[in-house]
Amino acid sequence: MEKLKSILEAMHPGVDYDTCTTLIDDHILGSFDVINLVSDLEDAFDVEFSPVDIVPENFNSMQSLWQTILRLQDGE
Amino acid sequence: MAYHQTSYFLFFFPLAVLCYQLTPERHRWKTLLFFNYLFFFFISKKLLACLLVSSALTHYVGLWLGYVKARHREILAQTAREERRERKQSLKQKERRIFLFGLLVHLGLLLFFKYTGFLALNANFLLGGLGVSARFTIPAWAAPVGISFYTLQAVSYLADIYLGKMEEDTNLGRVALYMSFFPTIMEGPICRYTETARRLYSGAPVNWENLTRGSQRMIWGFFKKLVIADRLDILVKTVFNGYVQYDGAVVAAAALGYTLQLYAEFSGCMDIVIGSGEVFGIKLPENFRQPFFSRTASEFWTRWHITLGAWFRDYIFYPVSMSGFAKKLNRNGRKRLGPVYGGIPAAACALFAVWLCNGIWHGSGWHYIFFGLYYFVLILAGNILEPAVKEFSERRGIDRACAAYRMWQRIRTFLLVIFGELFFRAVSLRAGFVMAGKMFANFLPASFTNGTLLKLGLDGKDFTVAACALLLVFVVDYLHERGFHIRDKVAGWRLPLRWCVYYGAIALVIVFGAYGAGYAPVELIYAGF
Repeated sequence: MEKLKSILEAMHPGVDYDTCTTLIDDHILGSFDVINLVSDLEDAFDVEFSPVDIVPENFNSMQSLWQTILRLQDGE
Repeated sequence: MAYHQTSYFLFFFPLAVLCYQLTPERHRWKTLLFFNYLFFFFISKKLLACLLVSSALTHYVGLWLGYVKARHREILAQTAREERRERKQSLKQKERRIFLFGLLVHLGLLLFFKYTGFLALNANFLLGGLGVSARFTIPAWAAPVGISFYTLQAVSYLADIYLGKMEEDTNLGRVALYMSFFPTIMEGPICRYTETARRLYSGAPVNWENLTRGSQRMIWGFFKKLVIADRLDILVKTVFNGYVQYDGAVVAAAALGYTLQLYAEFSGCMDIVIGSGEVFGIKLPENFRQPFFSRTASEFWTRWHITLGAWFRDYIFYPVSMSGFAKKLNRNGRKRLGPVYGGIPAAACALFAVWLCNGIWHGSGWHYIFFGLYYFVLILAGNILEPAVKEFSERRGIDRACAAYRMWQRIRTFLLVIFGELFFRAVSLRAGFVMAGKMFANFLPASFTNGTLLKLGLDGKDFTVAACALLLVFVVDYLHERGFHIRDKVAGWRLPLRWCVYYGAIALVIVFGAYGAGYAPVELIYAGF
C-alpha cells in the first residue's frame, strides 16, 4: 500500500490519499493521469489492466485501487 | 413524424401511452415494441428491416459470446493457477473474434448506408486526379433514421458482454426493446443496456406523477425547440447557405445563432425524449448539463451530448489507451520525455481515435472530420499547456480559482465552441474556411447597427422573442448549475399557482412558437446524423 501511495503522491502531491474517495469524481485524476497511473502500477505490481478495469469505482480512492491491484494479482 | 410535430405529441404518443396502459402488465412490453416498430416505420418505412436485422444480430452474437465465455470460465476453473494467465490470453482470442464479427457487421451496415456516397465521391476525386476515367456511381439510397444511435447501442451491448461487464440477455424481446425504444431512436440519448432494458420490459404502469412530470419536461423541450431553435433557424440558414454575400460580422452572428440554435434544439429534443420516457416510468440518461458553463473544451464534452462522449471514452479512449501499443508508447515516452510530458504521445493516440470517430460519426463530410479534429487539437493542447500555465500562474500570483479567472475560462471556451460549430454547420469544409476567414479579414462592426441583421429573415420582434427566451433558458441553466431544481420547487407550490405555471408555459409555446405562416417546418438536426 505504501508503494501505491508513493506512486500517487509522485503524480499528484498534496492530496490526502488516506481519506480521499473522489479522485475521479472531483477530477483530481483526469483521463491522461489514469493512463500514466496504469502504466506505473503495471510496472510496480506486475499486473495487467484491461479496459474493463478502467472504471471510476476502481480509481476513486487509494483503497479501491489497492483492491483492484490485489484482484489482478490474483489473476481474476 | 418527429418528436416536435403534432402527429407525435397529439396523436402517436398519447395513443401509445393509452394502449400501453390498457394492456395487461405482462404483455405491455409487446405493446411498447409494436409502437417502437410503428414509429420506426413512419420515419424510415421499409428500412425497418435494418433495425430488425441489427436487433437479431445483436441478440444472437450476444448469446454466442455468452456461451463461449461461460465455457471458457469452466476451462479456466480447471486450469492450474500458474498457467491461468497464459491460458486466459489464448481463450480471449476466440472471444475477441466473435466480438469483432458482431462489431464489423454493425459497422459495415453503418458504413454502407451512411458513408458509401462520401467514399464514392472522394474515390472519384482521387481517380480524376490520377487521370483515370472510370468513376464510381454515387448511390442515392437513404439511411435508416437513427442508425448512428442504435448501432452504438448495439456495439456497447456486445462490448459489455465481451469485456465481462454484464451477462448476455437470453430474451430477444428485451434486446429488441432496448434497440428500438421510440423516444430515443431518432436522436438518442445513447443508452446502455443495464440502464434501460429491464425497466422497458417490466411493463410498469403509467402513474399520475410520471405522467405530469414527464409532460412538464416535454413542454420545456417544446419551448426550446419551437420558440428558440426554429426561429433562429431562419437566420442561420440564410447566412450559411448564402455565406458568400455576407461580411464577417454577419457570419459571426450566424455562428453564434447556430450554436444557440443547436443547443436549444438538441437539448430541447432531449427534454421531449426524456419526458416521454418518464411518462413510461423509464429514467433515461441526461445528455446535457449546462454546457456553456464549461471552463475547458474537455469539460464541455462532459456536459454536451454526454452519452456520446461517455460512449467514446468507454469504448474507444480506454481500450486504445490499454492496448499493447499505447502502453509501450507510454513507457518509452515517459523514459525519454519524463513524467510530465512523456505520457502525452500515448494519450494523443487514443484521443486522436476518439475525435476522428466523433467527427466521422456526425456525418459524411470533411467538415465533420475537421470538427472532430478541431477538438482533438484543443484538448491535446490544453493538456500539453496545463503544466506551463500552472507554473506561470503560480509565478505571477494569478489565482486560477477566483471568479474572474473562471469567467474568463468560460468565455474563452464559449468562443472556441462557436468557432467549432461554424465548421460543423458550414455547407462544406471550404465554405467553413471562407466564413472563418471573413470573421478575421472582413469584419464590419457596422453590420450590427445598420439593420443588416434585420434583413436575414428575422424582424425585431423575432429577435426580441428569441433573446427573452434565451435569457429564460440561461436563468434556468444557472439555477441548475447552482443545484436549484425548478421542477421540484414548482411541484411544491399550491395547486392553482402550479397550474398557472404549466398553462403559462403551454401558452408561451403556442403564442411564441415559430410555426405556421411565415415559418417553414424545421427537421430535427441530430436525426440527420
